[in-house]
Amino acid sequence: MWVWFAKLGSPKWFYEISGRWLPWMSGAMVLSIGFATVWALLFLPPDYQQGYTSRILVVHVAVAGTSLAFFPLMAVAGAITLVWKMKLADMVAKNAAPIGAWFSFLTLATGSLWGSVTWGTWWEWSDSRLVSMLFQFFLMIGVISLRSALDDNDQSARACALLAILGCINVVVIKYSVEWWNTLHQPASAVTIGGGDVNGPEFWVVTLLMILGVYLFMGISLILSTRNEILEREKNAVWVQEIANDS
Amino acid sequence: MSALDLDRRNLAGAVSITRAFRITLERDLMLAFRRKGDFVNPFVFFVIVVSLFPLAVSPESVFLSRIAPGVIWITALLAAMLSLDSMYRADFEDGSLETLLLSPHPLYFLVLAKNCAHWLVSGLPVVLISPFLAIMLSYPSDQLIILLISLLLGTPFLTLVGSIAVALTVGLGSRGLILAVIVLPMCVPILVFGTLAVNAGLTGLPVEGYLALMGAMLVAAFSLAPLASAAALRISVA
Repeated sequence: MWVWFAKLGSPKWFYEISGRWLPWMSGAMVLSIGFATVWALLFLPPDYQQGYTSRILVVHVAVAGTSLAFFPLMAVAGAITLVWKMKLADMVAKNAAPIGAWFSFLTLATGSLWGSVTWGTWWEWSDSRLVSMLFQFFLMIGVISLRSALDDNDQSARACALLAILGCINVVVIKYSVEWWNTLHQPASAVTIGGGDVNGPEFWVVTLLMILGVYLFMGISLILSTRNEILEREKNAVWVQEIANDS
Repeated sequence: MSALDLDRRNLAGAVSITRAFRITLERDLMLAFRRKGDFVNPFVFFVIVVSLFPLAVSPESVFLSRIAPGVIWITALLAAMLSLDSMYRADFEDGSLETLLLSPHPLYFLVLAKNCAHWLVSGLPVVLISPFLAIMLSYPSDQLIILLISLLLGTPFLTLVGSIAVALTVGLGSRGLILAVIVLPMCVPILVFGTLAVNAGLTGLPVEGYLALMGAMLVAAFSLAPLASAAALRISVA
């Protein structure tokens, strides 16, 4: 276990292993997103209340679910940076912040498009999910701007790690504090398989497929940007120069 | 045990933690009274911004009394944020912050002392003037006590949580806006409950639950936020 953990801290090992993962992940991503998109756009039957608008939800649920993963990811990577001073964890955290901000923005945009038709409003302040997603977006921007304001790599790594941990706690607190108002957003219903199911299997299978695809997309973009970061930071290492000479 | 550790232990024995807390508090208060602009300006800012709202929005008393809690809360938040900037900056520039970090006492108590001094100087005046401004905004005077309690519970929270962000950015040259980007989202929960409590009071609903939750958040911030501030200071000054 600890050998594996120590290995993961080595940028070189990560660069090599992730290079082997990438083709498989990309293939799986193209298949699942392509299949889910075609299915959702052309074959998904219209909802009896929402009509064809429900097709937006396939993308919205997938993007929203993925965007919730970023703050925990950054907080865990931050804790690893603070405790073990692992360089790789910080590289992942650094690149997760802009991607996470984009995912939060996409969640707000797709949700708002869907809401404009189904709820009759683009934005609803009394809903805890909308407001907490908006503030997750703001907190992400805070982490990004702190990172860009500090030059020193080691110092900015630890400062952003601390801020990511606080932000992760904060998103949860904001969520529950806004929930005291009446909530418009329905409880999560995409993957309830048991009794009282509001969506048929044709809906949740395609949504699950889309969630898988979007998670793969998140993983791939994170790995690609982390690999870029590794080459940038380790540019004086022998193995990086070998790669540069080979190509 | 190295000689340095022994030395630090002896030093820590010479001055008790309570005394170190008191010395830091007194020092910060004295500095604030010598440099009055630091605490007069946020206070004046608070008064001026609140009095701009009736001019910009509407002078009707029915309307003003409805927005009064929100206006006072947001302006208090902005005033706290503006004054936060001075909490560690002068100490960082003249090197006394490094001395504070080298102190043999737990940084938690020293940071807490600085936070207390900051609240006494910049938070308390805002709380004390708020009833007068609330009356100017046609806020019903029988509800003033709820506004006062909510601000009394809320402004120390703003200081304690804001202190973390200031500590993180203390080494930066220009940080006015980045401080806002970090601090303001962190203050959302206390703002929500503060205005919920006041609005519940206005509509005749029970407010004790909201005030109790604010008290709980303040206690949590009181016990945990200085730890985060101390960690952030160690990162920034190292």
